[in-house]
Amino acid sequence: MSGLRRIPWAPLAVVVALLVPAAGSRFYTFVATDVAILALFAVSLNLLLGYTGLVSFGHAAYFGIGAYTTGILMKKAAIPFVLAFPAAGVLAAIFALVFGFFCVRLTKIYFAMLTLAFAQIVWAICFKWNDVTGGEQGMPEIPYPDLAWMERLPLAGQLRTSDHFYLLTVVLVAACLWLLRRIVGSPFGRILTTIRENPERAEFIGVNVRRWELFAFVIAGAFAGLAGGLFGIFNRGVFPDFAYWSKSSEVLIMTILGGIGHFYGPAVGALVLLVLNQQITSYTEYWPFILGTILIVLLFVFPGGIVGALDAAARRLTRVRRA
Amino acid sequence: MQRRMVLAALLALVLLVPPPADAQKPIRVGFPMIMSGPGALFGEPASKGAQMFVDELNAKGGVLGRKIELVVRDTKGNADEAVRVSRELILKDNVDFLVGTLTSAEGPAVSVVAKENKIVFIAPIPKTDQLTAPDKLHPYVFRVASTTTIEGRTAAELIAGWNVKRVATISPDYAYGQDVTRTFVEHIKKVKPGIEIVDQQWPKLGEADYTPFINAQMAKKPDAVFSSLWGGHFVTFAKQAKPLGYFDAIKYNFFGAGEAASPESTKAMGADYPVGIWGNSYDAFYWTDGPPAHRDYVARVSKYLKDEYPSSWAIQGYIGMLALAEAIKKANSTDSDKVAKALLGLTIDTPHGKLTIREKDHQANRAQIYGKTVKDPKYPFAIMKPATYVDPTKFMD
Amino acid sequence: MPDPSFLFAQSLSGLTAAMFLFLIASGLSLIFGVLRVLNFAHGSFYMLGAYLAFQTVQSLGRGPSSFWWAVAGAAVGVAVLGGLVERLLLRHLYGKEELYQLLFTYALVLIVSDAAKVFWGTQQLSVSRPPGLAGAFRLFGTLVPYYNLFILLLGPGIAFAFWLGLNRTRAGRLIRAAALDREMLGALGVNVSRLYTGVFVLGSFLAGLGGALVTPVKTIVPGMDVEIIVEAFIVVVIGGLGSFWGTFLGALIYGQVLSFGILIFPRFSIFSVFALMAVVLILRPWGLLGRPLKS
Repeated sequence: MSGLRRIPWAPLAVVVALLVPAAGSRFYTFVATDVAILALFAVSLNLLLGYTGLVSFGHAAYFGIGAYTTGILMKKAAIPFVLAFPAAGVLAAIFALVFGFFCVRLTKIYFAMLTLAFAQIVWAICFKWNDVTGGEQGMPEIPYPDLAWMERLPLAGQLRTSDHFYLLTVVLVAACLWLLRRIVGSPFGRILTTIRENPERAEFIGVNVRRWELFAFVIAGAFAGLAGGLFGIFNRGVFPDFAYWSKSSEVLIMTILGGIGHFYGPAVGALVLLVLNQQITSYTEYWPFILGTILIVLLFVFPGGIVGALDAAARRLTRVRRA
Repeated sequence: MQRRMVLAALLALVLLVPPPADAQKPIRVGFPMIMSGPGALFGEPASKGAQMFVDELNAKGGVLGRKIELVVRDTKGNADEAVRVSRELILKDNVDFLVGTLTSAEGPAVSVVAKENKIVFIAPIPKTDQLTAPDKLHPYVFRVASTTTIEGRTAAELIAGWNVKRVATISPDYAYGQDVTRTFVEHIKKVKPGIEIVDQQWPKLGEADYTPFINAQMAKKPDAVFSSLWGGHFVTFAKQAKPLGYFDAIKYNFFGAGEAASPESTKAMGADYPVGIWGNSYDAFYWTDGPPAHRDYVARVSKYLKDEYPSSWAIQGYIGMLALAEAIKKANSTDSDKVAKALLGLTIDTPHGKLTIREKDHQANRAQIYGKTVKDPKYPFAIMKPATYVDPTKFMD
Repeated sequence: MPDPSFLFAQSLSGLTAAMFLFLIASGLSLIFGVLRVLNFAHGSFYMLGAYLAFQTVQSLGRGPSSFWWAVAGAAVGVAVLGGLVERLLLRHLYGKEELYQLLFTYALVLIVSDAAKVFWGTQQLSVSRPPGLAGAFRLFGTLVPYYNLFILLLGPGIAFAFWLGLNRTRAGRLIRAAALDREMLGALGVNVSRLYTGVFVLGSFLAGLGGALVTPVKTIVPGMDVEIIVEAFIVVVIGGLGSFWGTFLGALIYGQVLSFGILIFPRFSIFSVFALMAVVLILRPWGLLGRPLKS
């Protein structure tokens, strides 16, 4: 058991992910890109949900802002990806700062409601500002970043553009996750956990709760924006639904499904949910029904999510072995 | 901790069964279409028409000795979802071609998917000019639907013939509504310079409460209205407008583009339909001036749909598939590049007569049936009388 | 200067919309006030009410009273379903985090929407106005449909009945007490569990009633559940979560903003209601007429 623990799982997962295009199936690359991007989106939400104890119901706003930023810059202004991608994070962070400033003043259900209201405002703007966002019909045909240099790389030369973009996505998502991991492992991360456990006590020992919550809100928004920037390109188009509240609930479900108690839990949730979706929609159109059922089982039987449940199972196993 | 996650990941990978990929199988055609929501009023019969063509063709041995298999997926009337299901149809279901989409938001978005994947895409319904505009045109996109230019100009000439001065418009605020309304306004100002556009309302697509828009429009006292609310959207609108005296106020000088006079729309509303307005439709089972092939088609589609008064939308799915099958035959191949070349200048025999897909803009000379709705004792719903197929040639350029 | 009869017509349409919204949002607000559960599935119950009403009208035919039977049947049917959901599932989540309750009701949204598709398909369905209320009359130069007048009277009627119930009955007093302090109730030996079930049933009844009554004005279509829940959220947030008169006020404001919003900024009226919701939350998170929640 302890041998397994010593294996560097995260780097291994990245290596495995990088090998996906070698399978030669465009469908695998498609699903894997989707998973990687939404994993980052879900993990960014968990910075609020699992680490700080803030239930955001409008996290899609920052995802949408990021997607439109990168999309508009690359399509309309022909700005290269190296600038358009970080811009997604920066703009999302600015919006998160403004919105978050008001949100963190509220508690619990009111916080959730205000995040929702802001997200719907973002959605309404994307939906109606025809000249800039394309309005209802969105903005198709976001160009791929210029990845011709990848053709000179060993092994990657024969791959398609979508594979090249996938490799780039894996590297960027891995870097973002690594950064986020560092953030939650830092003293800042411990402050957030203290706030989650008991905000009054945190305040009492001299923590400026609102300021740190706002900080967490901005960071979460920035990474959601980066995820959105990648997603617009992957999706070959940016649409107002990216910021709609159903998107927010989708990522919330991924996060809870995977388990909010662990850093990579939401990523596992994204993986399981998307793969399940691909499988089930091949057989039936009633995916929402199945998702709803999964959710109810989850809430009643495995409130800790997949990772939480596996954790508990493993603990029981160890106990049995020891006995 | 992390090993459990890897277990979960492995579990997920096991679930990810490889997609089926065989060579000598039926020709698979992806059919992304609205199958739910207000658009399903038109989308569902369109997919049935496509299926009917496929069933008839397969019964005769298919094309190039292979059968056609139609894979229908619901786009929910949403461009994002349309793009997603189209990509999945290509990547997961390995379809050889795409035929479908309904709204003018979906059409251009799916066209981009077709371009990138180098797969022929035939749009049987979306009318926005943007789909085949010079900057959006690519070798793989074709349209057998009418266009916003054709429809807007036809409607403009029609209303220009009425004794009216103050014209208003009400249209859904997205590609189709914007394009057809702009064309209408431009053209009517050209053909009848005395006309004044007194009001323009832009409810969002899928609006549930049109009352504020109806009141606002009535306050401007138009004496004629051009609308492009379509499908279930028109049904909701008319249901709310009629009791407010909207149609009476404009003396039924109302033209409903977007197939407001299709049997689907008049049937869905029954006694609530504002009889007396003008509208159009892709087809009408009661259209007796059509070619003999049309009567034969109506009999077949009536039997196929088990409906005495069959749908007018089936024909768009039918013609879309017909164009594809004829092109495959002409190309003698299912290679998208060859089929795309075969589609250029292709003339097909449809139940409405000959249609030709122009080489220069990949657009078929498809028009619609126009008419004023009246009550007819023969049917439990309103019909267009007389129903006239308006030749689009002079409106196309 | 706009024509006064137009202003009258426009505010009347806003009022009608407001009364519909009040019917629906009052149930949502009631459930939140007592159970502290934000019920996403409230919109699904509303949709079920509409479908059940359609179904009943279909089977009863177009008789003079069939519509009213359909309305009653739909409201009761949805109330029973609400009771089952609360008894069998929701009550097991009371002690848990709010997020879990929220997600549970969201799961119901997903399940009910697909179940409705299985039973009634995806086509949109339509119910005609009841024969007695099919016409319209002229008032200040505006045509007012009788059915709209009925809704305009029904809204305040329900509000008044509510007010009586809350102030004049024991159950009403318990509900008000529960909204203020839940722990107190248990300590006083009140059967809290039964109270919760009762409130959830009543809330669902209102959702079903609203859904059934809206059918002559709107079309029944998949997606109407999600659309209404967003609107109902806005209304209760503006008025104050759990506040009864607040919901009434919230609905009135919402209706007028939608009606006149399209005149002031035609293409951004949907934007204006969300902005209003955000402003209220920022300035008075507990709503215009609500009270701050005890944490």
